[in-house]
Amino acid sequence: MNRLEALRNAVGELLDKVEGVIALRNKSGHVAPHLFREREELNGLGLSPKYPLPATLRLIQNEYPEAKLGIVCRGCEERGLIEMAKRNQVELGNVTVIGLACTADEAEECRCAKPYPSVLVDAHVGERTEPVPDRVAEELRQKEVAERLSFWRSQFDKCIKCYACRNACPQCFCPECTLEEELWVERGRVPPPFPSFHLIRAMHTAGKCVGCRECELSCPAHIPMTALYALIRQEMGEMFGYEPGVDLEDQPPLVLPMEVEI
Amino acid sequence: MEYRNVLTTCPYCGTGCALYLQVLDGSVVGTLPVKGHPISEGALCIKGWNAHGFIHHADRLTKPLIREQGQFREAGWDEAYNLIADRFSSFKSDFGPDSLAVLSSAKCTNEENYLLQKFTRAFLGTNNVDHCARL
Amino acid sequence: MTNSVLDLEEADCILITGSNTTEQHPIIGTRILRAHEERGAKLIVADPRRIQMAIHADLWLRQRPGSDVAWLNGMMNIIINESLADEEFIANRTEGFEEVKEAVARYTPDVVERISGIPQEELRQAALMYGQAERAAIVYAMGITQHTSGVDHVKACANLAMITGNLGRAGTGVNPLRGQNNVQGACDMGALVNVYPGYQVVTNPEFTQKFEEAWGVTGCSDKVGLTVTEMIDAAERGEVKAMYIMGENPVLSDPDSNHVIEALQALDLLVVQDIFLTETAELADVVLPGCSYAEKDGTFTGTDRRVQLVRQAVPPIGDSKADWVIICELAQRMGARGFDYASPAQIMEEIASLTPIYAGVSYQRLEEQGFLQWPCRTAEDVGTPYLHEGQFTRGLGKMHVVEYQDPAEMPDDEYPFMLTTGRNMFHFHTGSMTRRSAKLEQESPEGYVEVNPEDAAELGVSDGEQVKLLSRRGEIQAKAWVTDRVPRGLVFAPFHYAEAAANVLTNPALDPQAKIPEYKVCAVRLEAA
Ligand code: SF4
Ligand code: SF4
Ligand code: SF4
Repeated sequence: MNRLEALRNAVGELLDKVEGVIALRNKSGHVAPHLFREREELNGLGLSPKYPLPATLRLIQNEYPEAKLGIVCRGCEERGLIEMAKRNQVELGNVTVIGLACTADEAEECRCAKPYPSVLVDAHVGERTEPVPDRVAEELRQKEVAERLSFWRSQFDKCIKCYACRNACPQCFCPECTLEEELWVERGRVPPPFPSFHLIRAMHTAGKCVGCRECELSCPAHIPMTALYALIRQEMGEMFGYEPGVDLEDQPPLVLPMEVEI
Repeated sequence: MEYRNVLTTCPYCGTGCALYLQVLDGSVVGTLPVKGHPISEGALCIKGWNAHGFIHHADRLTKPLIREQGQFREAGWDEAYNLIADRFSSFKSDFGPDSLAVLSSAKCTNEENYLLQKFTRAFLGTNNVDHCARL
Repeated sequence: MTNSVLDLEEADCILITGSNTTEQHPIIGTRILRAHEERGAKLIVADPRRIQMAIHADLWLRQRPGSDVAWLNGMMNIIINESLADEEFIANRTEGFEEVKEAVARYTPDVVERISGIPQEELRQAALMYGQAERAAIVYAMGITQHTSGVDHVKACANLAMITGNLGRAGTGVNPLRGQNNVQGACDMGALVNVYPGYQVVTNPEFTQKFEEAWGVTGCSDKVGLTVTEMIDAAERGEVKAMYIMGENPVLSDPDSNHVIEALQALDLLVVQDIFLTETAELADVVLPGCSYAEKDGTFTGTDRRVQLVRQAVPPIGDSKADWVIICELAQRMGARGFDYASPAQIMEEIASLTPIYAGVSYQRLEEQGFLQWPCRTAEDVGTPYLHEGQFTRGLGKMHVVEYQDPAEMPDDEYPFMLTTGRNMFHFHTGSMTRRSAKLEQESPEGYVEVNPEDAAELGVSDGEQVKLLSRRGEIQAKAWVTDRVPRGLVFAPFHYAEAAANVLTNPALDPQAKIPEYKVCAVRLEAA
């Protein structure tokens, strides 16, 4: 049985127990998040490319807080759900998780630290594969500070302020986003002022960025921003022993590292 | 409880990015980019990301309007159609087809542009049909 | 576009002119930036403003607005002198080269510098960069066309591509980026004064007969109709009595707004079909509520001739109706036959049957394949990613001699600044949709004018202060953005904002052939408000 069939079976079984399952639908080769309500729809179940399904769960739970729902989660999506739950963005009590392990190729593509879910999962689909180190981040870490700064400067100069990095991020859910505040980031400028736009986002996602790479995948300018976030994540791990997305009980450090240094 | 994504084409510039309109219970609540699309490759600009922003705006026109003593009043479709039909017909017979002019739209679909030029050429009988290609 | 958006990635050199690509066609802009960064494609940007593209360019030429014929001719002159012309291509595929060669010889670097302000050495580098590239693509937009010499600018671009053999291959071409999502489609569908769908000219009796037969009518006019700007003038003179405007807002989009308003008010009947009460709809006698793209099925044709589906996501809002439904119902009400379609898919069947370049387009194929690029002549035809492969549509590619001419209105003592207009990233056209989108309006909530810091200092204006802009046609007030994006003597204003409508100022002088108004250059005076 291939992965798609196994997933179809798992979603089908779950549909008997919940009101709907959030997964990907494939329509003529175009894949998008979908709320499956009936078994008949499952012919159109899709696998990849991935979309930030935790954000879809949040959207639906906003309207239907009590609904019993299922969701298909990859490793990164489970990590995302964990961080969102800690910040009361999703309510996991009524949610059943079908875990989907990524293939080795997918993990490679994402430079993924944990390409399978294991914490919230009620049913497993797919074989676990090995974690992949983030070489882009490592290369950057080796560089001198000045070199890094000029690298980021040239990258951020390509930014067209589409906000995709924030919009696609399941961890960016503030009703009032600092990136839109004139005080911090002058409005209406393209590229946005260096470095405030990008550093604010990097700082805000510290402690909750789980490396799902949705931001980078949506960036029209191909700015490798997750490498920056990965370096911050490493620093935070060293400083506070905190790793986002690993454990539901672990509380995130409440202060930003910058404030600690000051 | 219904949530689905409808694949469509961006209503703004001519690049031709594809986007999904996120539909929750009959309302468009957001936009998502389309991964793997040949042009937009999973990205959108800020206008594309906000392509849902005006759809349900309170300013949307929901009824035909007819001007009466300088003011608009709401009207039914029949009344509006009859008024336009009568007046266009009489201009055409009194002053000839070239007394009528039509602007089609670079924001409307191909099918709509086709129909409006067909209506203008085949029925009104003039080539006074243009749109803002130059603007 | 002669080529595809996709194959810009195969270019070794991309010359952008008159296109603020990352703001107007952002997703093409980022594709070009990536080709530049990731594949090392050379990037030449010719633009009076220091736009984002200019920051990234290998070479940025800051020409005076409207001087494009001069520097393009100058590039050709250098290319020919340096023996970089593609003689084989010229001999086999073009005509008119000798005349062009003779004409451009007069555009020596010093002459070009005097007209355009581009330093001689920079022009030389640009010519070499473009001329030496194996595959070079020209990308342009309204900055090239919206001039009284717009057609000449386009011809100059085409000449440059032809003398270097940069047509008919991937990664080359002359690529105009079309501004609005379906401006290409509206042209293809014959929403133009001189052609039926598929560019079949109305003055050719064969085509008239073909369409009359298909539509079951007689008496289609063989007289070329009035263009937008001509309609407005005819309305003012009382020759046009009634206008039907679907989904356009000429009050804000056409030059010399005050004149447009007067003309529309002079009409006996103005019908506007739109989704919002636009500045134009406010003048109407009857307003019909159409539907947005989210409430109907259809197709749009993107700038690279790419036909794609538009799909209905939600039902029409209130009592509004899809625009195609309105046209059909009105036509039927007036007694017209041939307007009873069950769906847009059925309309496309009729389009395909009458429009050779769309003959192979159908909803079923679009559903399965995602897109088709015209010409697509049969149900088996996979479409055409780039035009002019092996042969031009008209046989040999004709080169035209073009000479530099001043814009219609140049700065003088009374109106010492040059004003150029355009769009920004956050709004679209007359703003009827974007200004009602909260996030977009938040980014750019009011009209502004870009003023060079030295000019601002002389005027005693600081950043963020209101300034008055006056031209021979009217005046507006807008916020000053003091920035070196614009050089001295030039100011830029976007035309999106009704309360600071740049087109109150612009000059309705037209290109004699294309009838495009000169939005990109007019003379203004600035005063602190
Ligand atoms: S960037 Fe910061 S303020 Fe904006 S949504 Fe993300 S976390 Fe919130
Ligand atoms: S996704 Fe990329 S281009 Fe868009 S705002 Fe973020 S960094 Fe900038
Ligand atoms: S998303 Fe932006 S670049 Fe793409 S078609 Fe829409 S307006 Fe154009």
